Amino acid sequence: MLLKDIRDYQILFLGLFLVLGIGTRDWTLRPELIGVAIATSLATQWILSLVTGKEQMTNLRSALITSLGLSLLLRADHWTTMAIAAVIAIASKFLFQAGNKHFFNPTNFGIISALILTPDAWVSPGQWGEEWWYGLLFAGTGGIILQRVGRWDTTAAFLGSYALLEAIRNLWLGWTWDVYWHRLMSGSLLLFALFMITDPRSIPNSRIGRVVWAICIAGLTFILRNYFFISTAVFWALFALAPLTILLDVLWLAPRFSWQRGDEEAGGELLTLNS
Amino acid sequence: MKFFRLLTSLLLAIVAVLCFTPAAWAFCGFYVAKADTKLYNKASQVVIARDGDRTVLTMANDFQGKVKDFAMVVPVPTVLQKEQVRVTEPKIVERLDAFSAPRLVEYFDPDPCAPVETDNLSRAVPAPAGRMETGSARSDRTLGVTVEARFNVGEYDILILSAKESGGLETWLKRNGYKIPRGAKQLLKPYIRSSMKFFVAKVNLEKFEQSGYQFLRPLQISYQSPKFMLPIRLGMINATTEQDLIIYILSPQGQAEITNYRTVKIPSDANVPLFVKDKFGEFYKSLFQTVYTKEDRKVGFLEYAWDMGSCDPCSADPLTQEELKQAGVFWLDDNSGSNAPVPPSFRRSFPRSSVFISRLHVRYTRDKFPEDLIFQQTANSESFQGRYVLQHPFQGELKCQAGREYKRSLPKRFEQEAQTLAKLTNWNIQDIRNKMKLSVGNLTYSWWDNLFSWLGL
Repeated sequence: MLLKDIRDYQILFLGLFLVLGIGTRDWTLRPELIGVAIATSLATQWILSLVTGKEQMTNLRSALITSLGLSLLLRADHWTTMAIAAVIAIASKFLFQAGNKHFFNPTNFGIISALILTPDAWVSPGQWGEEWWYGLLFAGTGGIILQRVGRWDTTAAFLGSYALLEAIRNLWLGWTWDVYWHRLMSGSLLLFALFMITDPRSIPNSRIGRVVWAICIAGLTFILRNYFFISTAVFWALFALAPLTILLDVLWLAPRFSWQRGDEEAGGELLTLNS
Repeated sequence: MKFFRLLTSLLLAIVAVLCFTPAAWAFCGFYVAKADTKLYNKASQVVIARDGDRTVLTMANDFQGKVKDFAMVVPVPTVLQKEQVRVTEPKIVERLDAFSAPRLVEYFDPDPCAPVETDNLSRAVPAPAGRMETGSARSDRTLGVTVEARFNVGEYDILILSAKESGGLETWLKRNGYKIPRGAKQLLKPYIRSSMKFFVAKVNLEKFEQSGYQFLRPLQISYQSPKFMLPIRLGMINATTEQDLIIYILSPQGQAEITNYRTVKIPSDANVPLFVKDKFGEFYKSLFQTVYTKEDRKVGFLEYAWDMGSCDPCSADPLTQEELKQAGVFWLDDNSGSNAPVPPSFRRSFPRSSVFISRLHVRYTRDKFPEDLIFQQTANSESFQGRYVLQHPFQGELKCQAGREYKRSLPKRFEQEAQTLAKLTNWNIQDIRNKMKLSVGNLTYSWWDNLFSWLGL
């Protein structure tokens, strides 16, 4: 059924952003690359599901979300780069598992792999602009999804701690506050906070675990951005800290997230057991 | 009859060969005018050649006052020694400007009565290979200011300062005869705190007179730092109006872009009326102002992005290896293979030189550009240029059926060009029509056409 699964909302929103992006921003978004990303992700998911014989067809939704995320964030000069990123992104779900749970965010894993392994991949953090309108659109729609998934705590912890760190730095450096707001009003930062680090399948299960985890990512992002001058700091921070999920799950035990139950148990703690 | 047929096909073959010959003839259009930086009153130009974290920065100043009053303070990421600073020829920046400036091209319609398959000829030729050979201190302790280096380069006296706090630096500069604008103290602080050094240059009058130059030559500094940024805040202390900054980024890889503001491509490839030929500069200025306003004055514009090995059409010859080196490109001497990763052969269809130029045009004001510009180089090898097209109608006699249809189609085309021009420049559509001598007799405008054009649709 359409829109029964929460991921249908995600697909809808990410698709909407892509259309908006192509229509209103002159990005280097290329339709053929979007096509390649979607086709490769779905094919990889299907083949690997067949081979491992575990996953069901319904998981094509996840693959679609991954490919839309890649299309939104990753830029490449050549289509093979996008294909490589998509294959690696999906394959990471099957390869890096701990206790039947994948701990890397597939989209993020795909982006970082493409940046490391291919000569022609890049991320354009500035291309979202910083219009309030976009910020609100992201926040609003992201909020809907999050409320339904019940992982708003991750976003709040990440954005809150990152904003605090930037505020302290701004105060210490003595910049005026418009510099601070300009740094925070970045569309890609919000996109990351609302759609990437909230993926409930790859983040810690317990709330306290998630908050600790999000604060760690915010801290690392802050360091990488301001002291190593890496414009794609958020993605590297998430990549580096993703394995921490396993440790946090051991420290704070909580039931694992499942998509269909999440729908019913919107909001608070989720009681679903391993499927 | 047979002879004529032979002659026609021979002529066609010659035309085809001419059109497919690369370099200046590609696209079958000529280059006629360019809109370079002489258009703007206050335009600074900066050339940044960067590979990895090694950077060569050339600053061409547009200083208008008396030479003896000239002094500049630029925050730089590292301490610079004498061998890291040199002066370069202004001509290099002019060459880069001319090479990358937005351009006007013109085409001539063929005789519609001649049976020429124009489709084949006018199709864009893939970017041609006009390839290049890819061989290709003492300190004033109380103020907390340390003079890290002091030397003389060409007509300039250079000081590299580091400071502990902004008040001290301000006092030091004032004591040493530099006119520091009010409010500088607050702005110097963030740079000091992020442990940047200050590059201070003033003119050595004796040396300047000896040099025989009329104008101050550009200063070129090289350093190694992961910071890929351009401080613009200090330049805005006293500025009341917007300032133009043209940044030429030379990269071994591909396009460069701004990471903390949007980078937007300037509108391009538009057909405009023929009279624009005589006022191209004015046209481009209005176009820029229009799109700048439309984007709410807060984005940077990409005006040109191209591999340095070629251009199509060329507004100036590509820079020679020697000129590129003068512009700061330092990776040409390296063994080119080891420098740029060589991708698998199936991924590159045509050879490239190892220098890619991006021309960014930023018009900034204090309220819309609070933060210094930060850049990144990408692998994006897509070519882009600001290019505007004049399409001359066929002037000869038209006797055939196709010719009459062609003639009937012209007024509509002219009107389209007028509307494009009005939209791009915000000029009055009626003035444009008058200039084009579009008599209303040719075309009947319905009231809603007028309304739509008035609404800008």
